[in-house]
Amino acid sequence: MTLAAHSGWKDPGPRPHRRGLSLPSGYGLPALVAACALLFGALPMLRLAGAAFAPGGEFAPEAALAEIGSRAAVNATLHSLETAFLSAIGALLIGGTAAILLVVTDVRGKRPIAFALVFSMMIAPQVAALAFLSLLAPHSPILALFGLSPAPGTPNPLLGRGGIALVMALHHAPLVAITLWTGLRSVPHSLVEAAELEGAGPTAIISRILLPVLRPQIAAAALLAFVAGIGNFGIPALLGLPVNYLTLPTLICRRLSSFGPAGLPDAAALSVLVALVAGLGIAAGMLATRRTGGKVEIERPLQPFWRLGRARPFVAGGLCLLLAVKLGLPFLALLGEALTPALGIALSWQNLTYDKFAEVLLRQDVTVRAFRNSLLFAGSAAMILALLSIGFAYALERRMGRLRRAVEVVIELPYALPGVVLAIACILMFLKPLPVLGISIYATPFIILFAYLARFMPLALKAPLAAMAQIEAHHEEAARLDGAGLWQMLRFIVAPILAPAATVSALMVFLVAFNELTVSALLWTSGTETLGVVLFSLKEAGLAGEAAAVAISASAVILLAMLALDLLSRRLPQDVLPWRI
Amino acid sequence: MHYLASTAIITAALAMASLPAIAAEGKLVLYTSQPNTDAQQTIDAFKAKYPKVEISFVRDGTPRVMAKVRAEIEAGAPQADLLLIADAVTMEGLKKDGRLLAHDKADVSAYPAGTHDPAKFWFATKLITTGIVYNSKATLKPTSWLDLTKPEAKNLLAMPSPLNSGAAMIHAITLTSNLPSGWSFYEALQKNGALAAGANGDILRQVATGEKLYGMIVDFMPIREKAKGAPVEFVFPSEGVSAVSEPVAILKTSKNPEAAKAFVDFLLSKDGQALALKQGYVAAHPDVALPAGYPGRDAIKLMPFDAAKALADEAAARKRFSAIFE
Repeated sequence: MTLAAHSGWKDPGPRPHRRGLSLPSGYGLPALVAACALLFGALPMLRLAGAAFAPGGEFAPEAALAEIGSRAAVNATLHSLETAFLSAIGALLIGGTAAILLVVTDVRGKRPIAFALVFSMMIAPQVAALAFLSLLAPHSPILALFGLSPAPGTPNPLLGRGGIALVMALHHAPLVAITLWTGLRSVPHSLVEAAELEGAGPTAIISRILLPVLRPQIAAAALLAFVAGIGNFGIPALLGLPVNYLTLPTLICRRLSSFGPAGLPDAAALSVLVALVAGLGIAAGMLATRRTGGKVEIERPLQPFWRLGRARPFVAGGLCLLLAVKLGLPFLALLGEALTPALGIALSWQNLTYDKFAEVLLRQDVTVRAFRNSLLFAGSAAMILALLSIGFAYALERRMGRLRRAVEVVIELPYALPGVVLAIACILMFLKPLPVLGISIYATPFIILFAYLARFMPLALKAPLAAMAQIEAHHEEAARLDGAGLWQMLRFIVAPILAPAATVSALMVFLVAFNELTVSALLWTSGTETLGVVLFSLKEAGLAGEAAAVAISASAVILLAMLALDLLSRRLPQDVLPWRI
Repeated sequence: MHYLASTAIITAALAMASLPAIAAEGKLVLYTSQPNTDAQQTIDAFKAKYPKVEISFVRDGTPRVMAKVRAEIEAGAPQADLLLIADAVTMEGLKKDGRLLAHDKADVSAYPAGTHDPAKFWFATKLITTGIVYNSKATLKPTSWLDLTKPEAKNLLAMPSPLNSGAAMIHAITLTSNLPSGWSFYEALQKNGALAAGANGDILRQVATGEKLYGMIVDFMPIREKAKGAPVEFVFPSEGVSAVSEPVAILKTSKNPEAAKAFVDFLLSKDGQALALKQGYVAAHPDVALPAGYPGRDAIKLMPFDAAKALADEAAARKRFSAIFE
């Protein structure tokens, strides 16, 4: 590394430069990170826009514009907007209330409640939707228990707009809650103490101090829920398709799955539309969080200040009720469906059967294969991303200067957009054999792995980036003085420090990828079925009980993984597990 | 001694005879629209006979299986060796495009003429009809397709979408060309609040759970589910039912045509047909009995159906259907 090259690198950044930056390989690492961002983030999106507006290589936007302006697309856009908007408001109310109660009050059982809340988010949306659907169906054993069974022929109240918004609100509430309780923890407790001295009560402190201080996080959480709602496929697929209430992701899937490659340009055009709608959300989110800029050193984080007194059991009861509705009832409904011998008959001790579990777990090759595939795909994506995240965190934090923001946005794209959109982009990129190499990864496990890497990279980066920001540069500087190369420095200095954070990234990626449906729904082929795919297929084939058995088994795997993580957390730094309040 | 030796020779000869003529082996991929459980049973039974063949299946609704096949052909990497999907019309389309491999040696002597493709590109394996299912709590017991347009069925009827089900596609074409009212029948259903979405499995679920009381559906699903105790009844309406034959065919691009032919032979054999009966289907073989819950073979009245015309009309019918219900 020459001095000239060093000063050249310095130019773009106005910030004072740390001396530990000039390492022998110079631009190598930043270039690699930028290349990865382009490969995983920019390329799929560009390919999509190309297919929509220039099918066959010639610029011809008419067909795409016609598709975007078609009645079906306009309706689906409206449906997407209204369900995402309503569900974001709902998620904010439910998740926000839960977060505030868990952080500021002295309610009992915070840890288990937070754990259960996060667990409920790890359950795939299509599983949640299936559970709520059977919960409110006329044959529901739970409703029958309370004598509330609707008359046969009553349409399931969850089908359609209201149901989609409600189930999505419940599904995204933990997302809001985690964002808000993380934000609440960074509020200095001195603010509360000052207000208490002035004689302000708990409700006044919450409404006049905490909520205004948290405004950026609240906006960010609402937009997160909104974008997640736009991109959600599982819930509108189960609750909307049966009544022809189509949102953009389900419309795309229908175009694609029923008309084959002939439907690709149409689907790509619709994908660009989703990207636009979701992109507006991301941009708004970035504007909202930008003002958080200057970080204050907090001497003492927020402590619970609201002594509930006699209301304590009631608040705990309220939170448990939320969990019972969100987690318990759907699970019981699923269990009921998985254990009865046929559809539409009530569960009792006499007719209880484990046949469906035996069928899917022992007899059917495809479910067993799906468990193995999901373990394999989610596992390898988690491992690869954890390793990459160490180099990325270092490069982004220390080496990218002004490019950092741009790279982060590009990496963020595939996660913020619906999985269906990313899947279509992957199909377009890999339908033909790879240039130069001449081999095709279409219809192989690698296309799913590529999509998982692209989609979950931002998720994997969060914790290592935060950890990297806290590390003083002097370790690296010392290593450089000792003559360590970039690789050695990463391997022996940065990696051990970031290892706990990277482990958490790996596990989060694994949990989300394990039950994922939207990406693999279009990319699977014989032998590469994932759990999400099998669940959907079983339900369509009239095997709802078997589908429920698969859903329960998959949730059990997630639960075990989270419990293992919780046990492991004693060795991890604080704050890395989202349910540790 | 002499006796013992001859017994040994006879035993050996018998053992040889019971072995398949060609020792099929290697990998085989089946794309099918059969429900997962049935598909698994079918390949398990095949594996029991041909232990050296490593067969696996991919299951989806016929339109989506076809979308997958076409996408893979586009990508130059067709994965499937065999197709076992709902209807012969789709097979005719593939045959026309030159995607199928003929199996000239297939033994179809036991089947009446017209059951299979005369050029032996595809072979019918079953008879799957589409009729009416109702929840046993329903007040109206439908006996005719026209009953579904009555006020008692208002907002209570569900049917599979031709976008999800191959059988539903054939059903729509058959029904509209046989009922005097043609497409107005579907328009009347739509006015009566009927819902057309999802696959046959979704219809079974909705009717069994009482969300809807009436449905159009393939016969085997409600008949099997009723046998397990579900509160559903299946009706063969007086005008007749539509039918698909769940044909099997070998793709021209198959990397293992010998094993694929063995699979076709197995499905057409007495054992394969007996398996269909055991699974609760009407087997294509005329001598195989009908499963419990069905009327006699002669009592099932099939509406006439012109396959060539259906192939030509398919795209138009799909558009027409979508226009009415979406």
